[in-house]
Amino acid sequence: MGNFKKDLEQLKRYRENNDRKSREVVQLWENSISVNIENLGKEKHIVLEQVCIAAADTFRLNIAQRCIQELYRDFPNSSRVRVLESMVYEADENYPKALQILNDIIKHDNTNSAAKKRKIAIFKALGRYPEAIKELTEYLKTFMADVEAWQELSELYLNEHDYSKAAFCVEELILHNPHNHLLHQRYADIKYTHGGIENLEIAKTYYYQTLKLNPKNIRALFGIYLTTTALLNSQKNMPQKKKDSAQKAAEWSIKQIKKRYAEENNVDHIQKSLAALEI
Amino acid sequence: MTADLIVDPQIRFWVFLPIVIITFLVGILRHYVSMLLSSQKKVEVQQLADSQLILRARALRENCGYIPKNSFLIRRQAFNKEDGYLMQKRPPVTQNMMTDPSMMTDMLKGNLTNVLPMIIIGGWINWMFSGFITTKVPFPLTLRFKSMLQRGIELSHLDASWVSSASWYFLNVFGLRSIYTLVLGENNAADQSRQMQEQMQMTGAASVMPADPKVPFKAEWEGLEIVEHQWKLADIEKEMLQE
Repeated sequence: MGNFKKDLEQLKRYRENNDRKSREVVQLWENSISVNIENLGKEKHIVLEQVCIAAADTFRLNIAQRCIQELYRDFPNSSRVRVLESMVYEADENYPKALQILNDIIKHDNTNSAAKKRKIAIFKALGRYPEAIKELTEYLKTFMADVEAWQELSELYLNEHDYSKAAFCVEELILHNPHNHLLHQRYADIKYTHGGIENLEIAKTYYYQTLKLNPKNIRALFGIYLTTTALLNSQKNMPQKKKDSAQKAAEWSIKQIKKRYAEENNVDHIQKSLAALEI
Repeated sequence: MTADLIVDPQIRFWVFLPIVIITFLVGILRHYVSMLLSSQKKVEVQQLADSQLILRARALRENCGYIPKNSFLIRRQAFNKEDGYLMQKRPPVTQNMMTDPSMMTDMLKGNLTNVLPMIIIGGWINWMFSGFITTKVPFPLTLRFKSMLQRGIELSHLDASWVSSASWYFLNVFGLRSIYTLVLGENNAADQSRQMQEQMQMTGAASVMPADPKVPFKAEWEGLEIVEHQWKLADIEKEMLQE
């Protein structure tokens, strides 16, 4: 019984931190939760939902089915459970069936953002990026302040190599969350990839901003070095003064990078700083 | 002289405790009845989009310094131009409020669970248990509290710290909130005092009707018009290199 309590707490921690620890969640379910469904009390439904998603993620469809059955028993007409059901079909790659359920939900309730998002996810899974982009822009017309959706859209645009639109989406993210260094870094990356003197200037500025927000961000240092050298090479008739300052910036950044690596030359550290670079 | 006033123990069993139990049970009952009657509020897509639009406009206004000037101008144009997001024409919403049947039923349900039991139970308690002294607060009070604590008893010589049955009922109505949250969980419908506050606000500011988006739109439009774009990153290179 003590085990059960501990497992429940672990599940709660995963939920609160938004961790995608699907394998662990399913493991916990098999260890203790599945035999104690009736003892979950108030948490029952939220735990079932969590386990269901984790099970679909790890392709344990029978577990997911069971959770959905339990949930349907308590909420026969819930659209939230139906979204879960469509997710299980999705995991089974039965996309037509999943789409059918989602379309049905959306027809009933035009404001159901979860269903709309799942639909876009299905398009993405099918590799139908233009359709996914179209749906997502349609979605963003209604849910303009949905930061997650903007991020997804920027990634979809990046897949299509549409850098100016991707940059627009990241700008939107920065507006909503101006102190996240990763967003500034992503914006600089996009601008740098886009190319052109003006974009390179902007990219350089945003790399500096990233570095200011997080002095440990080594990618920003590399970014500064790359942008300044690219600027030096691309402009033939740069004013001498500007040239000098760019030269200085490049030297400064490379020195910083060397210093950073001298400080932390064990592999563990580097791995950690690499892990910090995921958005 | 008040110290030798002895209250019949029967009052404790037949007045004091019944009032507590009745108010408590009525609260529980109200919770379940309103749960039965409550209809899911349907959110209109338009309303949702409007609120999100305002959120986005606000974010733009507050954090515009973090994006390049060009990007800011593009966005402002999209919001504020002749037929931009913030200048959309909307059909007036106030008219259809009275004709909307769901609105009327909502109001009726609200009255059914709020006002009616209040009147009936209050009246019944007043009639059933009137004229008893039920308890005494353990500290002396000034005369002004008499009207509050001794409703239904007009004895000018009685010490103000005695509580009459009718007043005891009202104390219960307003004081059982934390017990309801304990029993029914947060956000229950049993608590009359909170519901009454809501009702007052609703009748006062008429916040039940879907707010006309024009007013906040106009405010945001003005805010965006006057905001001056200052790129916060303009000098960052110098700043960083100086360190």
